[in-house]
Amino acid sequence: MARSYRHAVAALAVVTALTLAGCSGGNSASTSGSSSAGGTVVVDTAFSLETADPGRNYVPTGNMVLHAIYDTLLTFQGTDSTTPQPDLATMEQNADATEFTFTITDGRTFSDGSPVTADDVVFSLQRVAGITDSKANFLMTGITVTKVDDKTVKLTTATPSLQLPAIVTNPSLSILNSKVVKEHGGTTDDSDAAKSWLDANSAGSGPYTLQSLDLTQQVVMVKNDKYDGADKAGYDKVVVRNVSQSSTQLTNLQGGDSNVAVDLSGDQVKSLGSGFTVDSAASAETLFLLINQDKNVGGVTATPAFAEAVRYALDYDKLLELTGSGSVAATGVIPPMFPGANTTGVTQDLAKSKAALAASGYNGEEVKLQFPNDTPVGGVEFTPLAERVQEQLKAAGINVTLAPAPFATEVQPYVKAQEAFSLWFWGPDYADSSSFLPFGPGQKVGLRAGWTADAAPDIAAMVTSATDATSVDARNSAFRDFAQAMQESGPFVPLVVPGINLASSDTVAGLEYNVTWTLDLRSLHAK
Amino acid sequence: MSTAVRGRGAQHTLLRFLARRAVTSIILLFGIVLVTFSLTVIVPGDPVRAALGEGASSNPATVAAFREKYGLDQPVWIRFFRYVGNLLHGDLGTSMTTGRPISADLAKAVPATAEIALYAVIVSFAVAVVLGTLAAYRRGKVTDEVIRVVTLVGLSVPTFWMAILTYQLFFMQLHWVSGSGRISPTLTPPPTVTGFYTIDYMLNGDSVGFFDAVGHLALPVLVLSLFTIATLTRFVRTSVLEVLDMDYARAARAKGLSGRRVVVGYVLRGAALPILTLVGIAFGSLLSGTVLVEAVFAWPGLGTYAYNASKNLDLLAVTGVGLIVGVIYLVINLVVDVLYGVLDPRVRLS
Repeated sequence: MARSYRHAVAALAVVTALTLAGCSGGNSASTSGSSSAGGTVVVDTAFSLETADPGRNYVPTGNMVLHAIYDTLLTFQGTDSTTPQPDLATMEQNADATEFTFTITDGRTFSDGSPVTADDVVFSLQRVAGITDSKANFLMTGITVTKVDDKTVKLTTATPSLQLPAIVTNPSLSILNSKVVKEHGGTTDDSDAAKSWLDANSAGSGPYTLQSLDLTQQVVMVKNDKYDGADKAGYDKVVVRNVSQSSTQLTNLQGGDSNVAVDLSGDQVKSLGSGFTVDSAASAETLFLLINQDKNVGGVTATPAFAEAVRYALDYDKLLELTGSGSVAATGVIPPMFPGANTTGVTQDLAKSKAALAASGYNGEEVKLQFPNDTPVGGVEFTPLAERVQEQLKAAGINVTLAPAPFATEVQPYVKAQEAFSLWFWGPDYADSSSFLPFGPGQKVGLRAGWTADAAPDIAAMVTSATDATSVDARNSAFRDFAQAMQESGPFVPLVVPGINLASSDTVAGLEYNVTWTLDLRSLHAK
Repeated sequence: MSTAVRGRGAQHTLLRFLARRAVTSIILLFGIVLVTFSLTVIVPGDPVRAALGEGASSNPATVAAFREKYGLDQPVWIRFFRYVGNLLHGDLGTSMTTGRPISADLAKAVPATAEIALYAVIVSFAVAVVLGTLAAYRRGKVTDEVIRVVTLVGLSVPTFWMAILTYQLFFMQLHWVSGSGRISPTLTPPPTVTGFYTIDYMLNGDSVGFFDAVGHLALPVLVLSLFTIATLTRFVRTSVLEVLDMDYARAARAKGLSGRRVVVGYVLRGAALPILTLVGIAFGSLLSGTVLVEAVFAWPGLGTYAYNASKNLDLLAVTGVGLIVGVIYLVINLVVDVLYGVLDPRVRLS
């Protein structure tokens, strides 16, 4: 009996070996992570990816992927985030900044060879506006889209909207091949059913097309042979993989399993020796302290004087030590890369802090600092940053108790304006300074600090000026006034703008950080 | 009593046993659903804000449509009964994060974890039986001491740290194994039959894919095995020591049977039941407890899915994971109970 078992096992082993030796279907042998010209480039990043349907996307990895597959009306070139440039179309606006006319560049085609028309633009934008539960829906709020002729589309707003050119660069507002998408269930209302098709296929005019999408593992894109724009594909294939741990991204890059790592910390990129390229830049996120001005919430700390005491008590350079390469000290609520940002930040002034503290009526009470402890931003962990703040404030006579909690728990009291003193972050909805106006009195973030328009009517007027401006110069001037006033008397203390560290092997060129799509896959090419 | 009658009787006993277990399992599953669902309801935090993010959650129309789409505008008890009703049709709901059916998400995540867990248990079982038996036979001697120290180290070293260490050593420095993920980025996953890439590649006749998948499995299996081997080895040693002192084991040796026959035919057979229980528990633990190892090796399994679902307050996905883990444990317990009967006739009779 035992002999027959042994024979059976041996036979099975032989059959298996023969099967494997003889089989040749499926994959062929290849080198992972090769990045030769025209080959494959492998990018590791921690996925925040929910769909490849532009109309439903509003997460970072989605932006990165969709920017490679789809064109938008306008775009940002390279690392710039201030001046939208023509992509599929050129733009003209009226003097009131309420009408924006886009003319599609001649000769632009989708990946199936059909021309890009005004109907495609109207369908794509109206689709985003019509899918009510889409995360990107808010981008189209207040914008009306009309076709002028086959090559021209007009976007209209009721009030001046100088941020509109920046908004239409967002990959969520990509232009889709309307005929193809409609064939697969696409509509411009909530009945739209094209998501599942768009998660497996693409209908864009960008340099790459979608080959496969696995939300947990990887996205594979291949070169669009019909692409006729300016950003020619640098590779035949781009693979974006989900690698959640930055330590694994680092090991993969060093071991040759990947070519690009997106989420490395400042310390990790320092450990990369020769043979690698690093691009460290300030992100568009701002980490800030919130000091609630509502007496019912903040009690003794709910005063502008206490906010000033905190502002001047901190040593911002020492805080920056915790945040790694690419990070910069915050100069205000608007990050440095956007128009209107302050050129210099606050410097520590303990005498001024103590004077303000005395004026505030604070008398050594314990102050609770609330913050999310599971959501690092740009590699910056909140707990050590909060500890450093606690230590510096103690030296200035302010007693702080740390109160960390998971993001999902902590965000509720934050948005409901129930936190007296907290550490939070803010990033732009789109690459424009207007994304930071919510810090103003009576605005979304301002109200979270119990700061009403009545509390600071001058600054509230600056918000209105920036919103209503009809010329870029006037708008930028209003942003500057706003940023300066916020830094002097707002209930927020901006701390740092965390860095972002992109790294690649030396075989890859074109590593560029962009505020909206993080890594520009279009610019990658083999050296 | 004829053999046929005895066979039918045993068959009826087994069917009764399985029927009882099925009824118990259904009650248990309902309890799991109730508890998991309740936890997702009482957990602080707003799932809509977590899912939509800052920009979209400022748009009342989007928030209202989102609540309606996922039934969050309904009272809790209606949501619960609707959920249970859908469950009876095999519908676990739709993930608020991926927008896909949760059953489809789990159908990809569970086999990914099951593949490393199964191989880890097989490796662990094989190694632990050998080491544990050896340690028991050499009780108090150097071999025993060495094995005990090694297993103590295996238990003490954090799995997460071991994963990072082995990955840096065997992948980055020595290039002995493949990189992270289930397969190399340039390969195409096999057509899904079992969800186990190694088996599916084999069924598809794809040797390149098969060996690539094996290369990617090696380290996660090794790391998970190290901890499980340590636990099992110590348990096997204890069980074998107990059996070695039994009369029948001493009698077998006194009869002059070879050491191998005594070990295989008497000692291990006698120690099999408790070992089997622990192997079952270890398999269940591996299936539901691989979050950290999956994170290091970028393995798209159940642990990763559960972590992301919890972080994003994807309530139905969390409930789905709880349910699937409950089902896994129930199935494992059932299999272990049936194997008890196979291995020990006394269990069958009782």
